Amino acid sequence: MTTPEPAAPQALLPQDHERRLHPGSWLFVLLQNLRQFIVPLAVLLFAGGRRDDGYPWWLPMIGVGALVVVSVWQYLTFRYRIDDDRLIVRSGMLERSVRQIPYSRIHNVAIHQTLLHRVMGVAEVRLESAGGTKPEAQMRVLRMPEALALEQLIRDRGRADATVATLDGGPVAAPEGTTLLALSTWEVVKLGLISNRGLIVVAGAVALSFQVMPERAMGRLLVNYGREAFGYASGFATTWMAKGLVLLGVIATALLLIRAFSVLLSLLRFHGFRLQRQGRRLTVERGLLGRSRSSVPRRRIQAWTQHEGVLHRLFARRTLEIDTASARGSDGQGNANAQRGLDALAPIAPPDTCDAIVRDIALLPSWPPVDWQPLHPRAWQRLMLGDLFMTVGLCAALAWFFQWWGALGLLWLPWSIIVARRHAARAGYVVDDAVVAVREGWWARSWRFAELGKLQAVELRQSPLDRRFGMASVWLDTAGANALTTPLRLRFLSLDDAARIHATLAHAIATRPLRW
Amino acid sequence: MTASDTDFTVPPPLPDAPAPPAPQVETDVWQPLPLRARTLATITTLIGTLIPLGIALGVGLIAADRQPLSFGLAGALLLVIPAWTVWIARRRWLRTRWRLDDDGFGVRRGHMWRSDTRVPGNRVQHLDVRRGPLERAFGLATLIVHTAGTRNSALSLSGLDFDEAERLRDTLAARAARDDDHDDA
Repeated sequence: MTTPEPAAPQALLPQDHERRLHPGSWLFVLLQNLRQFIVPLAVLLFAGGRRDDGYPWWLPMIGVGALVVVSVWQYLTFRYRIDDDRLIVRSGMLERSVRQIPYSRIHNVAIHQTLLHRVMGVAEVRLESAGGTKPEAQMRVLRMPEALALEQLIRDRGRADATVATLDGGPVAAPEGTTLLALSTWEVVKLGLISNRGLIVVAGAVALSFQVMPERAMGRLLVNYGREAFGYASGFATTWMAKGLVLLGVIATALLLIRAFSVLLSLLRFHGFRLQRQGRRLTVERGLLGRSRSSVPRRRIQAWTQHEGVLHRLFARRTLEIDTASARGSDGQGNANAQRGLDALAPIAPPDTCDAIVRDIALLPSWPPVDWQPLHPRAWQRLMLGDLFMTVGLCAALAWFFQWWGALGLLWLPWSIIVARRHAARAGYVVDDAVVAVREGWWARSWRFAELGKLQAVELRQSPLDRRFGMASVWLDTAGANALTTPLRLRFLSLDDAARIHATLAHAIATRPLRW
Repeated sequence: MTASDTDFTVPPPLPDAPAPPAPQVETDVWQPLPLRARTLATITTLIGTLIPLGIALGVGLIAADRQPLSFGLAGALLLVIPAWTVWIARRRWLRTRWRLDDDGFGVRRGHMWRSDTRVPGNRVQHLDVRRGPLERAFGLATLIVHTAGTRNSALSLSGLDFDEAERLRDTLAARAARDDDHDDA
């Protein structure tokens, strides 16, 4: 995907007639279909084959043949046409459908290449609009230059909806993209060291192997190996000290392996990461074996998140992520997360770079703000309340078993007071006429902000506990927010502040037209 | 957008070609729900409490030794718990207020956990008026205001007077359309 963009997309994508996909595209459709049917087919082949009484082994081949026919048929019936302001896609084998997609409605253009795609010089293109779970159009597959030309065309034509209207259909002189961030291999390795992705995958793999392997073979395997290893270890480690050391060694090795796995995963995913800005559009390219490239207009960004954990701080790095309102479902191949286009603008970057990217893209010249407003003076008490109950409960349980020694657990409380006080001192919010920003956390810090024009609803909340402390919180709703990330909310404000902000924002949003 | 879990609703009758000028919704005041809504809330709460409670107590009585004490306890529970839930429901009815102003639509609710949600008029994506059989019997309706957001993407207010809900829907829809006109992106 490092190929230079074609100078004139018109040369590659003539407008007057309908076009088909790449001639080899039926092969990829077939592969995708096969992936869906691979389990039933395998069951047919193997489970059937065990019976030796002349089981027709070629029976599954009929299924494969049918899939081939379907794939070729799909290829033959899929046509698209490039119109002045919209893309027209005709598809369907028996039920025909014609779908018109105005360029200005396309939020995200995602080009994806697996290794096989790259060998054949083709790519899969997805056009996503707001909401929904399916992309507006999925072109599996186009020749790579055609895919890039299509992306550029949408970028140029989609701009016509904004204030600058192009005079004719001719190409606007596309400004050369400026690279905002490019990650070196060493940076990607750091990202792997910081992220916990390896742990998640290992846990998933273990869970899966327990499910897939028959009759608790996995469990037996683990127990057997464990016993053997333990016997081996107790052969040369006789004292408790030595045993403890061996155990520590095993744990350390496991942790190292998981980290190494994380590094591998992040190399696969983020190798050659490049964030570019071309006029109003952002483009992100990444991937080691399979490359993906997605591009989104600046104004489609709904909210921003910066995150900095302890490990991030060790390397003096941060993560910058965005919410977009485009389709968040799976890509039709079951891997929902793998290709979620453009969520990390900067998977890892020095804090200054992150801030610079925000200033550049979000058009917030004064980011980061200096006048963070403090929380309610007693916010730290609220912050440590949960910890207090947990600790006391846990200590009560410990005291049950170890008598007074259990009370030692209460020593955790001073630490949790320190953490809560630091957190409350660091946390803050900014509400001005352009942006709402929240800063939270002390160990793991996060910044979350959104432009006022992107807010959808405001809610003032007060729990009984809040009322006791004279506090309230303001919850702000934006489009495309991920259910897993922290919501955009201003917690532990004094009631007066919260009510004032609530009223101001409700009015401010109402005066701004919805643009998304 | 949330997938709307449609229940059996009767589509509102199509308006005649030139709609008569609908009576305006009063703005800028926090308006209560009609009294009928309180009655309906009481009934639904009673049903919702008594059925599971009755089953639980019945099972408990069968399992336990049937002594006067346990009967008395069950009777007391049968009295106290529904009274409590009904009290909560009626208080919730009392605390639920809605308001329409120049900025948009607002709903206040809750006594212990209070909330005040505002949806600016130009953020409204689409509107539903929904009525179940009980609500139809009482002439009430549920108004659902959808936005493009995620957590608060559907603000629903049940127990509105049916005519009021329709007026509210039309007013909000007219505003959303007005905003769309000069912002066609």
